Amino acid sequence: MSIYQPHLMRVDGIIDETPDTRTLRLVFKDPALAEKFDFKTGQFGEYSVFGAGECTFCIASPPTRKGYIECSFKKCGKATSGLRDLEVGDEMGFRGPYGNSFPVEQMEGGDIVFIAGGIGLAPVRSVIWNVLDRREKYQNVTIIYGARTTGDLVYKRELEEWSRRADVKLWQTVDPGGETCDWKGQVGFVPAIVEKAAPSAKNAHAVICGPPIMIKFTLPVLSKLGFSDDRVFTTLENRMKCGLGKCGRCNIGEVYVCKDGPVFTAAQLKNLPPEY
Amino acid sequence: MTFSISDSGLNALVDEVIASGTTVIAPALVKLSAGERREYQKIGSAQKMALTGAIVSNSLKPFIMPPSVPLFRYTRAKAAVSLEPATGKAQAAVVIGAQACDIAALEIVDRVMDWDYHDEVWFERRKATTVISLACTQADASCFCTAVGSGPDHPRGSDIQLLRKKGGYLARALTESGKAFCSKYGSHFEKAGDDADRDPLIKETREKVETNLKIDLGAIRSFLTRNFEHELWNDFGLRCHGCGACAFACPTCHCFDIVDEPEGITHGVRRRNWDTCQTAKFTVHASGHNPRKDQNSRIRQRVMHKFQIYPERFGDVLCTGCGRCVRVCAGGMNLLEILKVLDKSAEAKS
Ligand SMILES: Cc1cc2nc3c(=O)[nH]c(=O)nc-3n(C[C@H](O)[C@H](O)[C@H](O)COP(=O)(O)OP(=O)(O)OC[C@H]3O[C@@H](n4cnc5c(N)ncnc54)[C@H](O)[C@@H]3O)c2cc1C
Ligand code: SF4
Ligand code: SF4
Ligand code: FES
Repeated sequence: MSIYQPHLMRVDGIIDETPDTRTLRLVFKDPALAEKFDFKTGQFGEYSVFGAGECTFCIASPPTRKGYIECSFKKCGKATSGLRDLEVGDEMGFRGPYGNSFPVEQMEGGDIVFIAGGIGLAPVRSVIWNVLDRREKYQNVTIIYGARTTGDLVYKRELEEWSRRADVKLWQTVDPGGETCDWKGQVGFVPAIVEKAAPSAKNAHAVICGPPIMIKFTLPVLSKLGFSDDRVFTTLENRMKCGLGKCGRCNIGEVYVCKDGPVFTAAQLKNLPPEY
Repeated sequence: MTFSISDSGLNALVDEVIASGTTVIAPALVKLSAGERREYQKIGSAQKMALTGAIVSNSLKPFIMPPSVPLFRYTRAKAAVSLEPATGKAQAAVVIGAQACDIAALEIVDRVMDWDYHDEVWFERRKATTVISLACTQADASCFCTAVGSGPDHPRGSDIQLLRKKGGYLARALTESGKAFCSKYGSHFEKAGDDADRDPLIKETREKVETNLKIDLGAIRSFLTRNFEHELWNDFGLRCHGCGACAFACPTCHCFDIVDEPEGITHGVRRRNWDTCQTAKFTVHASGHNPRKDQNSRIRQRVMHKFQIYPERFGDVLCTGCGRCVRVCAGGMNLLEILKVLDKSAEAKS
């Protein structure tokens, strides 16, 4: 089979996260493949709707939960509109898993701080559940999540669950003006909330994903808190087509984001040309 | 293993290969409203071959990586989907009379198509093709193969290399597949010494190209590594229209897009189409954010990819000095001149 031919998957569940963001739960049509399939947290795939084309998303579910994968996406173009039209039971395509991953094993034994903005919670969610499903291996877990408005928060049921857990410290925030009258979380931009939460950098790693502007202003805050650049991990979203290091689209400097990434440390980012 | 073959022997050989049902691709003359040009084409008879004349206008890329190639067909019936391989497997083919710069390109692109994931869409045609090159005797002012590790008589990528001599050609069988070809069509070949009266034009052509451009590729590479930001990129960017003609004419540019082409509501084809880093659409994110937002950064990517990024990962450079990008550019962008400027800047800095 050609490396460009996707595996067939069936839509097994649909959750509308926000008016324009949706999560699909997908299962392999071929049971042998479902049994065999494995991936690492942070890897991505190419999702196809036949007739509309392919698009790139991270795998938003953790590898600790077997038998399915999930993706969460924002409707913004041709392929994402096609995906949006799928119903439970419909078949679609998946190629992957591709790329590198978050080194969750390396982070064992210490604290983890998760920082996400908007739909950027999708790749971080895979790491969060991976860590929570093996909770005993880690010390303090802090999650800082922000969206423009309360309506833009994704994974609302999981946020609810994390807020109730005693072994997770969750900070939720919305941009000023984005709150509703019953909002109990923070109001302010993510970098400011990170400063306020002031997670300890001692024996800690940070995982951060969100709009470029959020990342840009959060990195200096982490630095001030004492996180060294090689303990801060993020994931890039350069436009991709093949995912296989062939089509040339995701190339930044000497790096193919689809092969050498999408996960990079803040230290690695500083050595890349600013083309992301 | 070296043989010789006469002019009439080569014609007879080509006709025999065609008669056996194998596709033969060779430079052929195309009449234009003014003048004519040579173009690699599938030929139907040895008569069509034009082994000398101006530099061939197209590269061999379209024959190994067609501008649009079907990857598979899909059919949807209600919820279910079925996929089937696209029809049309690669046919056995022989390329005859190809220029050194065009066959070297095949080997250069092989490395991209074979690192980590093996791209059989490329290798299927690549492996079905026997390559017979002809040492070049027609370099023009845009050629700079000798500056980038190749040369008019460089055999790189050839299964068999032909070199012009009086009344015919020397034929050097360089690979197993080349040797097999020579023994299969043995009646047309005679054993010969390796340098039996080669056409002196071959050496003269090399010397001519050497005067076109002399640069230090290592120094340019390290200059590029250190000068992602440089005013030169603005100068180059101002000339460029972002049309992508350079990339499509180029034998080593290999970027592509993957798109679905519906043939109705229920069925269609997924295709792989040529694409280029020279257009704004290439890198634009779904949010509208474009990390390569102006033409300066796009022309920089083309130069960087060829002379810094590819060399870092695969060695050599992603350019064979064929000069096509120089000849086709409507904006007067001239890679040969760009390399001269980079070489000078690199020298000034060191
Ligand atoms: C590693 C990785 C992980 C990702 N993970 C996620 C994820 O988890 N969730 C998620 O929602 N997204 C994710 N993305 C982004 C996602 O890949 C894109 O949103 C998606 O591919 C859009 O596909 P589309 O076909 O719907 O958009 P397209 O139809 O390709 O269009 C999207 C946008 O491209 C631009 N565009 C397209 N055509 C043109 C044109 N002709 N001229 C000008 N502009 C044009 C427009 O800005 C348009 O809005 C990820 C990307 C990467 C690389
Ligand atoms: S360099 Fe010339 S041929 Fe290439 S994109 Fe620019 S204008 Fe077109
Ligand atoms: S970059 Fe220009 S000279 Fe080099 S191989 Fe491509 S078309 Fe030929
Ligand atoms: S997505 Fe094609 S090379 Fe990275």
